[in-house]
This record gives sequence, C-alpha cells and structure tokens, in this order.
Amino acid sequence: MLMLKLLQAAASGVVTGCIYAMIALSVVIIYKATEIVNFAGGELVMVGAWLGLLLVGYFGLPRPVMLLAVPVVLFVLGAAFDRLALGRIARRRPSRRLEHATLVVATIGLSNLLKGAVRGIPYTQEVRRLPPLIGGAPIFVGDVVLERQDLAIVALAAVVMLALWAFFRYTLPGKALRATSQNARAAALVGIPVAGMRMSVWGLAASLSGLAGVMLAPKLLLTPDMGDVVTLAFAAAIIGGFTSLPGCVVGGAILGIMQNLVGTFIAPQAIAVTPFFVIMLVLLLRPQGLFGDTVGVRRV
Amino acid sequence: MTWLGNVGTHLLACVAACALALPAMAAEPGVTDNEIVIGMFAPLSGPLIAYGIQPVNAARMIYDDVNAHGGIAGRRVRVVVEDDKCTGSSLVAAIKKLVTIDHVFLLHGGSCTAALAAAREFVTREHVPLVMLNAAGDSLVFPPQREFFGSFQSTQRVYGAALAEFAAGPLKAKRVAVIVHDDDYGKSNLASVTATTERLGGKVVAVERIPPSITDVTAPLLNIRAARPDVIISGAYPAPAVLIAQKYAEYRMTATPLLQSTQGIPTPSVFAKNVGDDTALVNFYHTWAFNDIAEPAVHDRWYGMYRAAHPEDPDPGGFMVTGIPSALAIVATLRRLGCDVTRDGFVAAMDGLDLQTDLMAAPLRFGPDRHDALRGVRVVRFDGRTQTVQPGVYSWNGQDGN
Repeated sequence: MLMLKLLQAAASGVVTGCIYAMIALSVVIIYKATEIVNFAGGELVMVGAWLGLLLVGYFGLPRPVMLLAVPVVLFVLGAAFDRLALGRIARRRPSRRLEHATLVVATIGLSNLLKGAVRGIPYTQEVRRLPPLIGGAPIFVGDVVLERQDLAIVALAAVVMLALWAFFRYTLPGKALRATSQNARAAALVGIPVAGMRMSVWGLAASLSGLAGVMLAPKLLLTPDMGDVVTLAFAAAIIGGFTSLPGCVVGGAILGIMQNLVGTFIAPQAIAVTPFFVIMLVLLLRPQGLFGDTVGVRRV
Repeated sequence: MTWLGNVGTHLLACVAACALALPAMAAEPGVTDNEIVIGMFAPLSGPLIAYGIQPVNAARMIYDDVNAHGGIAGRRVRVVVEDDKCTGSSLVAAIKKLVTIDHVFLLHGGSCTAALAAAREFVTREHVPLVMLNAAGDSLVFPPQREFFGSFQSTQRVYGAALAEFAAGPLKAKRVAVIVHDDDYGKSNLASVTATTERLGGKVVAVERIPPSITDVTAPLLNIRAARPDVIISGAYPAPAVLIAQKYAEYRMTATPLLQSTQGIPTPSVFAKNVGDDTALVNFYHTWAFNDIAEPAVHDRWYGMYRAAHPEDPDPGGFMVTGIPSALAIVATLRRLGCDVTRDGFVAAMDGLDLQTDLMAAPLRFGPDRHDALRGVRVVRFDGRTQTVQPGVYSWNGQDGN
C-alpha cells in the first residue's frame, strides 16, 4: 500500500508539475529576454483557459482547432501588450533603473486588467471546467491509476518543450531571440530588430501561458483567480534556476511531486507551504537554482 | 394578498400612532418619518461574486415588496449597497462608509465569515446591528455577540452534524472519513462531524485538512482510500469539491457515499458539468437549507417573485434564495418594533425572533444565548441530473462540536 501511494502521488505530481513548468517557461523566457518579471503570467494562463472554454463550449470548435487558436490569439495579445504598453513606456524612460520598475508595474496592471475583464463576464461567476482533451476510462499500470487526460497533458507539455528547445537551438528567429536576450546592443549592431524580437518574446510567452491554461483548465477548473497558480510557476522557476529553460521543467516536476508526497506522507495542510519551503531550501543551498547560471563576482 | 398583505389593514392606525410617538423619539441614525435606511454589503465583484449578486437582489426584492405594500409602519425601506469583495479590508471599508457617511440604521450583509470577522471591532464599538446575508458565521455567533445575527442557511456545525447523522442513520455508516479546509469553516465542520459521529457510535477513521487553494487532491484522497471508510464527508468549497469528486471517481471509490456540505455545490447543474463524470455522482449527497427542491410550489413562488422583480436575470442560480431569509427576519423584526425603531430595540426584538417560513427547512430562531438562526437542514441525493430530497430534517443539537 505504501509503494502504491508513493507511485500514485508521484505520477499525479508529474502531471501538475508539467503544467507548472509550462507557466514557468513563459515567465523565464520573458525574464531572459527583457530582465522583467512578468506578474501577468498567471492571468495570461487564465485568459487562455477561458478562451479555450469559449471556443469549445460556445462555438463548438474541435479541440485541435482550439489548441491552435488559443496560442495564436494569446500571441497577438502578448505582442500587442509589448507594442502598445511596454514599448511606449520604455521609450519615455527617465532612467534604465526606473524603466525596469515601471515595466514590472505595467505587468501588474495587465494582470489586474485581464482579471477584471474576465470577472466582468457574468458566465465567469461560477467555477467552470474545460472538457478534457482526451476522455475515456483511466489506464491502470498495476494498481496505479493514470487518467488519459493526464497522459495527454504530459505528452502535450513534452511536445511543446521539445519544440521550444528546437526553436531556440536550430532556427534563425530562435537564435536571434537568444542573441537579443544575451546582449541587445550587440544584437542590434548585427542587424537584429531588437524591438521586434522583444515583441515576439512576449507573444511567445503569452502563447505558452495560453497553452498551459488549456491544459490546466480540465484539471484545476476555471475561475477568474486561477492565475494565482503563477506563484507555483515562480517557485518552479526558482528551483530550476530563473534563467534556465530546462531548469523550469525539472523545477516544475520536483514541485509537483514534492507537493503530493508531502500531502500524502506528512499532512495535506503542508501542501500549501511546500513550494515556499523548497524555495527557501534552494536559496540557502544553491541560490542560483539547480540549473541557473552561477553568480560570480570579479575584481576589475 | 401576499404574506405582507395584511399590512394594509393596519397601516392607517399605525401611521397615526407613529405620528404621535415621533416627537418623543431621539434621532436614530437611518430612521426618519418616511424611511428606514438599511446598508447592504456583499461580494459584487471578485471570485466569490456568485455568493453576492443574486442574494442581494433577492433581499432587495423583499424590501421592494414591503415598500409596494405600504412600507413598515408608514416608512419605506431604502437600501444602500456596497461591494465587500469578500475580503476583510474591503468589507470594513464598506461598512464604515455605510455607517459613518450613509448613516444607515442597520447593516445587512456579508457572505464570507472570515471577512466579516474583520468587522467585529467596528460593529461592536458603534453598536450597529449586523444581520448577515448568507455567511455561515460560525466564529461570529459562537459565542453569540450582541450586534451579530446570522447563519440563516445554518452553520458549519449544522452541516457537519446533519451529514454525520445522515451517515449514521439511513446509510448505517460506522467508519467516517472527513475532508475539510484548514480554516475556521473546516474546523467547525470537523468538530461537529466528529462529535456527532462518536455520539452515534461511529468512528472518524481519516481526517484530511486541505488548503482552499489546493490544486491536486491526490494526496488526501489516497489517504482516505487507505482508511477504507463507509462514508466520506466533505466540507470543501466549490473548486476543491469538484476536484474531490473527480478524484473519488478516478480512484473507483464510488461505492463509498460522498456527502458534501452546501458551500461546495452552489449550483448543482454546474457542479455536475464541472465534475464531468456521472459515475462520480452515483452515491453523492449534499445538504440544503431550503424547501425549494422538495416542494415545487415553494420553488415556483420564490423564483417567480424573483423573476418578476428582476426580469434582467431570468435564470437565477440556486444561491439566489440565500438572500431571502435574512431579509424576511429583518422585516419581521422591524414590524414588531412598529414605529419605535431604535437600534437597541431592534437587537432586543431580534433576540425574540421565531420565524417559520415555507422557504426554510427549519424555523429561524434567535435568543439571548443564540444568534445562529437555522439549525436544521435537508439532505439531497444528486445523481448529476435529478435532485431527490431525503426524508426528514437533520438538525444540530446545539452541543456537538461546540
């Protein structure tokens, strides 16, 4: 029975961990490219989830179409936010230090704007659920229960993460984005349109958030406050290393599994504090996270 | 003629009596010759909006009906409404505004016990009667506090006791598993379930306290499954309640009845849709404080009244009715006061309230030592489509878990 509980808790933890990882990736991509922590990441997840429900539940679109449409719409939303808000703020900056603070506040503004807009829709007053991506009876591996929906989430998350890795490693736009994040001035000097790249990063991150929302919604239900899950994504990013994309994936998985193990073998009340305990542990023992860049000081 | 209709026959006499008495009355906030001002507050925005908008509309419907029938002792009821967002800071700001700027006579509102608790100091200091809209209010009515009257759809103690009694009675359960939130609500629910179960000869074999923000209920459900209970009693809020029902079906635990307190299932049809698997509800029961499910005539009367009063909202949810009983209690008490309307008089009159309405499963009663109105609820079996009210009313004895 003990082993069964352990395996079941771990299996379920991997699924939630994958979702945390997706959200964490969207946060980290923006941070790497712009050095801005996106506090609207959770609300972009929430908008993606409600949009998915609208497309499937109201318009009756097939799920594959919804899975394509949500990232596209969210890409436009993210890119528009960069172009219409962040770009203008950056152009009027009094100083670089103030620019960062202002841009971060702008993401908080976007967060409240999106939450308020969704809350204003009467349909969102009740908790809702997006129908599962794949239905059907659960699969049993021994006595461990695996929902088809959970397997679909893990598979989709894996595909997205692999695609993201290939994009950054092998494609020209991906390399341009990496160059922009490493040294924007140098990138501009070699002809990379830095502003366009930043807009693309925001679009890409919003797309990832939207996809995470679509994966999250059948499991965790839809409310205008479901974006609070971004706290767990921050935790996953910190555990993995805030500048590391693979770190996000590992951090998400660790967090999901840890939450379930703590809930099963210690106490369910402790689930809520687990992420913060793990963050404290990581910051104390390895401040840069498991895969983050080492913090170094060099005498000049 | 409605239940308010007999007012007309006594109206002239009452107005005449008040006209004689008014010069002798000290000026009472919110009370004039022509009106009584009531300050309402509820979550009109935010995540718990479902607990606020329709219940407030339902309460206003009662006050509008009173006004349409001549008011109370010749005075019209005027309502000022504020949004409390179900957060302590917003709620305190709302009631301070209602009391100090709008000068209301009494406060009528609150859908969240924890947020209401933040108002305790101000309300007590100002001696303003506060009648809760639809909050359970355990921490504000146990022990009773002079200005606070509430629990019109019962407390967590009642829900817990009712479900434990139902488990031990018709379901003949001896081993009970409990899953509640790690807050005041959960604490009250758990204490009541435990005490009632033990009094009836059963045993609580698993207790899982979960955070309201839980995203994965695998761990608590694994622990409950390992304990092999005869029934599972849940005091979870709407989102976790859905997660619990889903996981319960996923782990093939549906031979064990799942009993859910009201707060987790505000609209049964939406709950069933969210669970998305009817096999999860083959053995599912929930508490309900109202008679509208058991008696179609009662349903039609109150829902018809609501639709007539609010044609812009033709399809109210199940929580609409939760705004009615507190408004009925306020109106009944103001009627008892007649023309001599004072805050002290109102509190004293509320202490003597004994109101039986066709809407509620049990009478609404207060006393000097009791400020929780309702102590009896019904249990409803819900299979995802049909709600079947189980025989009898399940009541809390006032002691278990207190």
